[in-house]
Order: sequence, then structure tokens, then C-alpha cells
Amino acid sequence: MGRPVTPGEIIYPEPDLITTHDWYVVNFDAALRKLAVDRLHAPDKVLISTDHEPVAVSAQAAARQRTVRDIVRKYGIQHFYDVGRGGHGHIFPMELGYIAPGMLVLAYDPHVTNYGAVGCLGISLVVEISEVLACGSAWIRVPETVRVNLHGELQRGVTVRDVAQRMIGDFDADLVDYTVVEFGGTALARIDVDRRMTLCNTPVELGAKSALFETDELTETWLRPRIGERFQHMRSDAGAHYKAVIDYSLAVVEPQVAAPPTPDNVVGVSAVAGTKVDYAFIGSCANSSLADLRDAASVLRGRTVDPTVRLIVTPGTQKIAAEAAAEGLIGVFIDAGAILTAPGCGPCAGGRIGPLAPGEVSINTGTRNDPGRLGPRDAEIYLASPLTVAASAIKGRITDPREIIG
Amino acid sequence: MQLTCRGRCWKFGDNVGVDGDMMPLEFALQRETRLETLAPYAMTGLDPDFPKRVKAGDIVVGGKRFAQGNPHIQGLLGLAAHKVGLVCESIPRGSLRNAINAGLPLLPACPGVSQCVESGDEVEVDFRSGRVRNLTRNTEQWFEPLPQALLEIVMAGGWEPALKRRLATT
Repeated sequence: MGRPVTPGEIIYPEPDLITTHDWYVVNFDAALRKLAVDRLHAPDKVLISTDHEPVAVSAQAAARQRTVRDIVRKYGIQHFYDVGRGGHGHIFPMELGYIAPGMLVLAYDPHVTNYGAVGCLGISLVVEISEVLACGSAWIRVPETVRVNLHGELQRGVTVRDVAQRMIGDFDADLVDYTVVEFGGTALARIDVDRRMTLCNTPVELGAKSALFETDELTETWLRPRIGERFQHMRSDAGAHYKAVIDYSLAVVEPQVAAPPTPDNVVGVSAVAGTKVDYAFIGSCANSSLADLRDAASVLRGRTVDPTVRLIVTPGTQKIAAEAAAEGLIGVFIDAGAILTAPGCGPCAGGRIGPLAPGEVSINTGTRNDPGRLGPRDAEIYLASPLTVAASAIKGRITDPREIIG
Repeated sequence: MQLTCRGRCWKFGDNVGVDGDMMPLEFALQRETRLETLAPYAMTGLDPDFPKRVKAGDIVVGGKRFAQGNPHIQGLLGLAAHKVGLVCESIPRGSLRNAINAGLPLLPACPGVSQCVESGDEVEVDFRSGRVRNLTRNTEQWFEPLPQALLEIVMAGGWEPALKRRLATT
């Protein structure tokens, strides 16, 4: 915008980058054709990733992938990461140096807030992304900010996913609605960029518009090799007005599980421990980083998945998959009896890949647990950390990971 | 699109769900957006007679977190189809956006409004100034109206007509 704005103001900001994923491309093309729009405002700013269904699993999907390639060519879209190239569109653009602190990214998909891990504001506009593609902007009501100061130490067996889940269970949805959640505090130095993605991903489920971290040395160390001189620190102005300031401790006492049917229906693992599960999954834009795969492997190493359970592991990106292989994590998963899928969203994208059967029960690290998220509406979905999901896969029942890792 | 409404008040409580209460979920899943298809189902999860009895110009009054849930536009399109206005104590951001995109005139932040109107009252609302008059009880309240830029989208008839206008002028 190039000028200060105030909360509540309606603005039409031009984004630095626009992202959409494979499934929505056909829809935005249809919307633009209906409006007789035949060229994009800035095709050089558009990034499309084939992440929701990277391996086409039906004839229709194969045909749609071809249509997407045609549409990309037609509009001259410059940043297209097709099958086997990038991976999850909420993660790999950070790895590849597309994302810098202070940028504004507008997207179709709600979990674009992941970019907040490096101080970039990602905002989802869902169908109105068509207007951004055609005209270069769409209206945004400048949000208020809720500041969350993190402090304390993570307990054994507890990850930031547990903290994030506890947080959305604790926070008042009316307070967070339409705000940007800004993370800071003394614990930042102990939360690496991988784990910051998880914390930026989860508040969306409570109605936050976006989430981001102020930058620090960890951000700089992670980003400098990727973006060089484009790195700048981003922190709130001194004396910035916050809608609320919340002090939140990482010292959540036990692993947290979101029980069906909503992500904010969060309980301690002890409340649901023993529930039989048929299916476990580690991945999604919330938990598919190298740190997450290391967590899962720490539980699975030298152990095997219960014979009645299938465990699916989806690395977030091509790069994460390669790093996991180099570290021997992939071998750990395979030895444990897990199956790996192509990098991307994995089953979390509506269960198109590896769905549940009717009536089955799943525990996984996906973003949401609404009925139907992994296929059939009568299947039950519990959400938990990679540690808890791995432990539950081994035991065949929802299990506190501290029982296994000792 | 009129920015004043005068008609009967239809009052609903807190936490009215966009799926189920305002519109059967199946229409959201089918991405149905035709007004004539959605109109007969508006608010039927809470009042099966609503579509038959509501008249253009009537006012729907909602409590806190009106149209909460997964932000599907169909429940808001159902109201817009009947050419009513919406006054609510609060509305989650996804549904606010959908209401504007549906071309539904609304006052989105009206704390305490539920205490001052009852279903059946005759109510007049000026969406431009934020004035809510209860003609039955002879009371008046003022609330923050939508910003001008959003009123213009509502007046154009919603997102698609507004976007057509924007494309024509750029």
C-alpha cells in the first residue's frame, strides 16, 4: 500500500504473490471466462502448485491435470510447480526463496497462513482470488492484531502441535475472529521455522484471518541462504495497539487431541486414550516438515505399526522427502510398516488419496476433522501431534506417546 | 438494491448455523448458487414456514455469531433471494464476506439489538446510516454501518455484478 492503514479500513492491496492449487485452477478459469476476462493482471506474480492430487488417481484427475497445464500456458502463469516439482504450496515457496518477511500473499486456500512462519502475511480470499487474478486486488478489511507471547518449555512428549491445539481450545473464537495472531515472546528462540508453520496453520480453524511470527535470529539464519539481501526484520511498531495480549505457556501438561467433529474440540490424550484406530496419517500443511518427520521417526524407530492399522506418511515437499531419505527417516517408516505418498497435502485434501472406509476411525496430523474430511461422513477423525499419531499407530489405539518414548 | 428496509422482524437467537439452520448442507456441497433454487429453503432449519411467509423488505435479526460455521455462501444467498435485510449482534468474517458477496444489506455489529425487537414487530433499517427503528415499540438504535466501499458492492447486487462493473471501468 505504501501508507499506514488502520484496523477496520477497507483497502485494495496489491499482493506480492498470488497462489492457488491444482484443484482450484479449473474453477478460477471458469469464473474468468464467465466474466470475459482473457488475461491475468500479473501472471508473473502467480504461483500454482500441484499438491492436492499430485499423483492422479482417476481418469478424471489425469484429464484435469492436463487441463490445468493448458490453463497455465494460456494465461502465461510464470510459477507453475507441477507433479514432482515443488510439493505442498504452503511450504515449498518458503524453501525456494519466494517468501520474504513483510510480503503480502493472497491465496485461494485458507492455510496460506503458513508463510507467517517467516514473517509474511498470507491471506485466503477463497473464490475472490479470481478478482485478484483479473484486477490485481480485492477488498480487505484491515484486521486487528492479537499478540500471543509464548514462554516456558515444552514438556516431554508434547510438541507445538499440542500447544497449538490447546490454544484453539482455550482461545475465545469471538476474540480471534478476523484478527491476525502475532506470535512473539521469550520461547521463540526454541521454536524453529518448521514448527512455526504448525503454529501459524492452526489459528485459522478458530476464525483468525492470518497468523505470523515476528522475525528473529532463527528466521534470519533460515532465510538468508534463500533470499539474501531481501531479508529484513519484521516486528510490530513500538507501542502498537493490540486487540488483546495473551501470555501463553508452552508447558502444556499432556499431549492434546482434537476429537470429532471440530478442530477446537480439544481434550488431553488421557480422555480418549484406548480408542481403537484403523488408520493413521502423518502429513498435511500443519505437520509435514522435516522436524515433524523426525518426531514421528523418533517413535517409530525399531518398532512396527499394529497389524490392524495402516499408517500413511506424506512429506510436505520434494525437498523434505529428499532430506528425510538422506537422514534415514524414510527407512524408519518403511521398516515400521508405513506407506509413503507423494509430497503434497496427502489424504488431508478431502480424502481423495487414501480415504477412510465408512465407519473407520483415524488419528492423524491433518488440519481438520469435520465429518467427510477423509472421505465418508460417518468415519471419525482425531487430530494429534506426529508423536501421538505414531504412538497410536504402533499400539492400534489412541496412545500417549510418553508410554512409548519413556 | 435498496439500502433501507421496512417490514416485519424475524428474530433468531445466538449461533445460528449457516449449514443446517439457514440452508441444508447439501446445497453447499453441490455449490448451488441459483437464488430461485435456494429461496424455498431459506432459514427452514429453524422455521419451516419462513420462505412462505417472509416478504421483501422484512428484517432478519440475528444474535451473536450469526451464520457461524464453515463459510458457505448458500445460507446468505437464501436470505438475499427474499430481498430482506440482516441486522445481527455479530457475524464471523467468512459469513460477513459471503453476505456482501451475496448482495445482502446488513448491519454486522449490533450489540444489544436482540433485546429491542421481537418477531412480528415492524422495523425500519437504514443500512447507510446504521439506524434501526422499531415502529411497533417506538424505539431507535444506531449502529456502525458497513464502510462505503462494501455498501457499493451490496448496492451493485453482490460480488459478481460489482466485479463486472470494476472490469468495465478498468
